[in-house]
Amino acid sequence: MEKDNLIRVLNVSKSFRKVQALSDFSLAVSPGTICSLLGPNGAGKTTFMKILLGLVGSDSGSVTIFDLPVSSPLSRRGVRYLPENVTFPSWATPAILFRQLERIRHESSVEEFRLRCTELECVDLMKRPLGKMSRGQRQRVALSLVTSGKPELVLLDEPSTGLDPGGRILVRNLIRKLASEGATVLINSHLLGEVERVCDTATFISGGRLIVEGKLDSLSRQTGLAHIETDNAEEMKLSLEERGYSCHIESKGVVAELEDPAAFRDMAQFILDTGIRFSGINQMRESLEDVFLRIMDNDSERGNDIVS
Amino acid sequence: MIRNGGTILFLNSIEQLLRRKIVLTAAIAAIAFLGLYWWGVSAASSAELHMGHGQADMAVDMLSPADAALAAIITAGPLAATLMTALIIVIGSTMLPEEIGQGRMPFWLSLPQTRLKVYLSIGLAPLAVSYVLSLILFGGIFIITMIYFPFTPKNIPLVFVSMLSWLTVVWAAVMLLSLVVKKIASMLIVFFLSAVATLFGGLYEMMQMFPGEAPKALETITYTIIYAFPADRGYRGVIYGLIPADAVITENLAFFGVTASIPSIHLIYAFLWSLVLLSIGYLKFRRMDF
Repeated sequence: MEKDNLIRVLNVSKSFRKVQALSDFSLAVSPGTICSLLGPNGAGKTTFMKILLGLVGSDSGSVTIFDLPVSSPLSRRGVRYLPENVTFPSWATPAILFRQLERIRHESSVEEFRLRCTELECVDLMKRPLGKMSRGQRQRVALSLVTSGKPELVLLDEPSTGLDPGGRILVRNLIRKLASEGATVLINSHLLGEVERVCDTATFISGGRLIVEGKLDSLSRQTGLAHIETDNAEEMKLSLEERGYSCHIESKGVVAELEDPAAFRDMAQFILDTGIRFSGINQMRESLEDVFLRIMDNDSERGNDIVS
Repeated sequence: MIRNGGTILFLNSIEQLLRRKIVLTAAIAAIAFLGLYWWGVSAASSAELHMGHGQADMAVDMLSPADAALAAIITAGPLAATLMTALIIVIGSTMLPEEIGQGRMPFWLSLPQTRLKVYLSIGLAPLAVSYVLSLILFGGIFIITMIYFPFTPKNIPLVFVSMLSWLTVVWAAVMLLSLVVKKIASMLIVFFLSAVATLFGGLYEMMQMFPGEAPKALETITYTIIYAFPADRGYRGVIYGLIPADAVITENLAFFGVTASIPSIHLIYAFLWSLVLLSIGYLKFRRMDF
């Protein structure tokens, strides 16, 4: 485990009565990365996030943030957390909540908060009571409150909950901006499409154990599908079918199935030999959803029960 | 930064409490109560006694302004105390559970604050609001009585200290119970304990006036109860501090428990008792997973 890691978790276990929420869990997170925690419901993702904040005490192991044990309130300086189901008082306006948080943190200014609200398109809600907002509006306000200022570590539990597609794009942009400003972002989300678009790394958890972690690119395998980008889709399809490949036309080209992913080179050579013009040929990679299902399937095949 | 955060959280909790309907209802009830009290006392002060020749003058002579003030205070005191006890029980039992239930507690605890500060900042708000409202209510009773029946109160500083002692005992009990059982259960238990403590507190006062008269078993039960839940001593201290120093019929009002003095050690014991319960509550809160 490298010394310059911002989060260091070593052999952490936690159980709630008879349920083992985390088991011998270790993880290190480098500064400036956008990490995702993935796993089925009850896998231990939220428990892990809460252990990082000292909200849940671990039974064993050590957890440090900024080289400080999480039992110390100082470890939470520069840390921002958005819980999944937080309900701020309905009478409170974003301006009131920000004023309170600003006093506690002594970190951010109202200008920074306004800027964040502008980024999340909720600046016109500053003086509206939260009780008179939609769920999506409340979520955007909460994200603005949590991320304003100069956070060093941002923990977001289901940040896109209740947001429309436009709101999700804004959240993705916000997360990228936070990372570009040097913040480390840890996201717990079931929206794999969102995670895939914004995260650098993924940590798969199941049954309280770390199954696999790594960069998204390294986790997704090449599939048995190839996409050939061509204006002569019909001609290309016929040639490939004559050769014995199963294929279909999709927008901008043809998708061909390979019985063996390793046979991609042979197919590429065949396409070159046909002389049909094409602008690109790619072996398609697994989506994060495919990766998720494959990893979880493999895990359950090994007989690991998921904590409920 | 960390030092100021607790104060901000406390003020935030106060603001939140003041916006709750139950506090607004209690404030309106307190004002209505004072209005009725004013009406009643002013009517009593101008009432004419219709008796036989010479009897009215005799009756008026018997009842000095201080005695009238005493009668008024000991009539209003229990009602005001019931109102304030109910308020602190309701808001004290809901403050922490609501912060937890609404998901705000993880948010507050994720700020760079110690758990003790978060616990006290949020937990102290109901005590502060109830104390201020009680001061207004009992202060109002005192002022209205003074206007119509001028008197010198026995011990005003005792009122402030006793009121804090009484409310702190109820608050500490309900805070602890709200972390252990459901909030409705915590309300009912503390309300029951308060009622029992008041009943036996009255008996204790009478036993002080007539030592050795009560059956031994009753004496033991009474002593056990007033020490097991010492809210009543503080409440009686409030009444005792407010009553006129120069009333002549105090002995006849022993039933109301206003004749005996409240030794300081009783109030100190009540504060220590509260501190112990508050500490147990904190230990429970510190170990809780959010």
